[in-house]
Amino acid sequence: MSDDYLLELNRRRFLMGTVATIAAGILGSQRIADAYAADFPSRNIKIYVPTAQGGGADRNMRLVTDLWKDVLKVNFEPSFNPGAAGRVAYEQYMSKGADDGHDMLFGNMGPEVLNWVLKKPTFPLSAYEYFFRVDEDPSVIYVSKRSKLQTIDDIVAEGKKRTVNFATSRIAHPATIGVMALGKATGAKFNPIPMGGGRNTRNAVATGELDFGALPAGGMVVQRKNFNMLLLFADKNVLGDKINNAPTVNAKFGTKLPPLVSARAFAIKSSVRQKYPDRMKVLEDTLRKVVATEAYKKAVVKAKAPLELISPGGPAECAEYAKNIAAIGEEYRDFLVGADAAAKKKKKKKS
Amino acid sequence: MEFNPSIFIELFAETIQYWWVIIPAIFLGLIVGAIPGFSAANTIIMLLPLAIVLPVEIGFVFMIALYCSSRMGAGIPAILVNIPGTAGAAATPLDGYPMAQQGRGQQALAISFTSSVLGGLITTVLALVAMPWLAEVAFYLHSVEMIVVMLFGISLIATIAARDTLKGLVAGFFGLMIGCIGADYVYETPRGTMGFLELYDGVPLIPALIGLFAISEAMIVIDRDSILTKRGKEAVVTGGWGPTIEGVMETLKRWWHVVWTSIIGLFIGVIPGAGAAIASFVAYQQSKTYSKTPELYGTGHIEGLIAPESSNNGVTSGTLVPLIILGIPGGATAAIMLVVLQYHNVTMGTELFLNNPKLAYLPFTAMAVTYFLMIFTIPPLARYMSHVTVVRTVYMAPIVIAFTLVGAFVSRDFVFDMYLALIFGVIGYVARKTGYHVAAILIGVILGPLLETYFIRAMKMSQGDITVLFSSMLGNILWVGLLINLAVPIWFEYRRDRKKKKAA
Repeated sequence: MSDDYLLELNRRRFLMGTVATIAAGILGSQRIADAYAADFPSRNIKIYVPTAQGGGADRNMRLVTDLWKDVLKVNFEPSFNPGAAGRVAYEQYMSKGADDGHDMLFGNMGPEVLNWVLKKPTFPLSAYEYFFRVDEDPSVIYVSKRSKLQTIDDIVAEGKKRTVNFATSRIAHPATIGVMALGKATGAKFNPIPMGGGRNTRNAVATGELDFGALPAGGMVVQRKNFNMLLLFADKNVLGDKINNAPTVNAKFGTKLPPLVSARAFAIKSSVRQKYPDRMKVLEDTLRKVVATEAYKKAVVKAKAPLELISPGGPAECAEYAKNIAAIGEEYRDFLVGADAAAKKKKKKKS
Repeated sequence: MEFNPSIFIELFAETIQYWWVIIPAIFLGLIVGAIPGFSAANTIIMLLPLAIVLPVEIGFVFMIALYCSSRMGAGIPAILVNIPGTAGAAATPLDGYPMAQQGRGQQALAISFTSSVLGGLITTVLALVAMPWLAEVAFYLHSVEMIVVMLFGISLIATIAARDTLKGLVAGFFGLMIGCIGADYVYETPRGTMGFLELYDGVPLIPALIGLFAISEAMIVIDRDSILTKRGKEAVVTGGWGPTIEGVMETLKRWWHVVWTSIIGLFIGVIPGAGAAIASFVAYQQSKTYSKTPELYGTGHIEGLIAPESSNNGVTSGTLVPLIILGIPGGATAAIMLVVLQYHNVTMGTELFLNNPKLAYLPFTAMAVTYFLMIFTIPPLARYMSHVTVVRTVYMAPIVIAFTLVGAFVSRDFVFDMYLALIFGVIGYVARKTGYHVAAILIGVILGPLLETYFIRAMKMSQGDITVLFSSMLGNILWVGLLINLAVPIWFEYRRDRKKKKAA
């Protein structure tokens, strides 16, 4: 037995041992990962919410998490980070949130994706994904019952005579784009006044400060004693008489506008899916089950949220929605960033 | 929807039977109001499951009692240790804390409690009687008019600056500049955030309040062994009921002052979005402007304490008017109440007075009963609470700093806010040491962003036409009022000087 042989043997042994160790490691880690999936979640789940406590997003999130916690056997810890149209919560989540499936975000895809058209976030957009959509809430135009303008024709006719101010939650919102698109299609002039949240948007119309308002229809259903809903930005009015049988924009004006809906969804860092696909599966499967239960539907009805708007969707549907709303945002980019207003001012000055 | 006294009397008798709900809610509200960072709104949210499970009447009574007492609670630390529990109590320490320093803490608390209770009771009755007309106020006070209302509050900077014009104005403008930090109102463009994400939503009020008042004060008093002045130590009385009774009597003597300052609160409370902070600054400013002894304000003057306390309790009644009549929640607490009521299938509005008049009047009777029960439960506490002022500063200062830093954190769960409070503490300390008034800075921080919001909204509506500021009749009347308001102190001073010269 030469030294070389010993060396070769040792090397072979070493290599074999290494391969065996790696193989065992892979198998072992797979088992550990499986065990993790079985144990997941191992601690409370933290949810970043881009709006203030007590609002619509808070309500929608709690409707789900109140039941989801019983399935996952952990509690949910909401963290409300309002500010800069949701930007604060996203930035907080992306910079501080863990990417092990225990931290996630619950937001409103519509305005929040549009927000990135105004100004890109500090993280790449591919670094997070919406993985479960809860509802789809079409935008609606509404007026106060005291208003002189009581039909959508009144509003359009008035908009042809003068620039009509309208209340909206924020500039980068599907409802705002809907009204501006209506103006473009009919030749009426509308001027959006951002009120910073649904409550202020309703109040501005209720007190007569602004002529009409545009908001997601879901929150307006409980307000129908104070307001008349006039026009819906969707393909079909699934809410019927709950929003005064408001016609859809395409049916009424023959336009071809895409549905301008808000959609609340859970989002998570994309790295979670890469690192823990099994955990993502647990989250998606359990969420789907929760939203399909009778208990969830009962809770929605009890909270006075319209059942018709529940529209569960997985990552593919969410990605499709985000892509579409981002494309609409790009189309209205100048308006969203105020470039069109600046151009108009310049033109006015020159003339 | 006419006022029916028999229903009110019957309801008052019925509501008082809920004393077992109201009294615990009063004490809970007092505690959460006194802790910076907590408020009635976030406490009701935390107790939402309880509020929903309880029968609608009991849940409503509980929320109202909590709301009223939290407003009163915010004044306690403002007086005793110069920490306003909420922005609504930011004007309270202007005269409350100097009273505590002079050894009149117990009397100051009694004045605060009495003026809060009286202000709350008076405005509750007024709101009940004048509900339909008051609800109309919201239809006339829009962005343009609110700009002028804000300027009434901001003009307090000029009043403060009267002692040292340059320093007062510098402090006020510094506050207004801080108030401009954050994402812009329309296009969400960050301004002056220095790259800090936590400042995108503007400078948070609680850390600013805590830093400017509490931490800077802790840094100042650490030089001494007590927060009490030399005279205060000699005058401090912490054993008997005398100062409490004296405080109550002093307030009752000034009943008219309580009435009109609480009415200011009632009117401002009716306007959706306006709040107790605006009301208390406007009331303080008005109180000083029309006082015969304006020079005493800021030195521990009783009327300077009555004005903010009665007005911020007037706001409480005012906020409920648009909620009950129009279903419009004026503030965050009212919005959460609306959620609970909707859960119980209660729809607010004039129909409620036809379908369920008892429930429609209930919030006001609950408020009246709460204030009535507070008469017996809260003023006696002044005697014991005022003992805080005799704690040595070596214990007091670290406790105040630690306690308030936690308060800075809890409102948003950001560690950043604790650092921010410390930075404001240093700013406040430097300002005090160099003779700049921290209240002037704070007025800018609180009212500046509100003024900007209303101004940009008005400009956006008029598409950049500045003349919109003078486009409404009510707005123009308010402008004239503002000018008179600014001219009156100058005129009064001129008259006083002339009298003095004549006498000489």
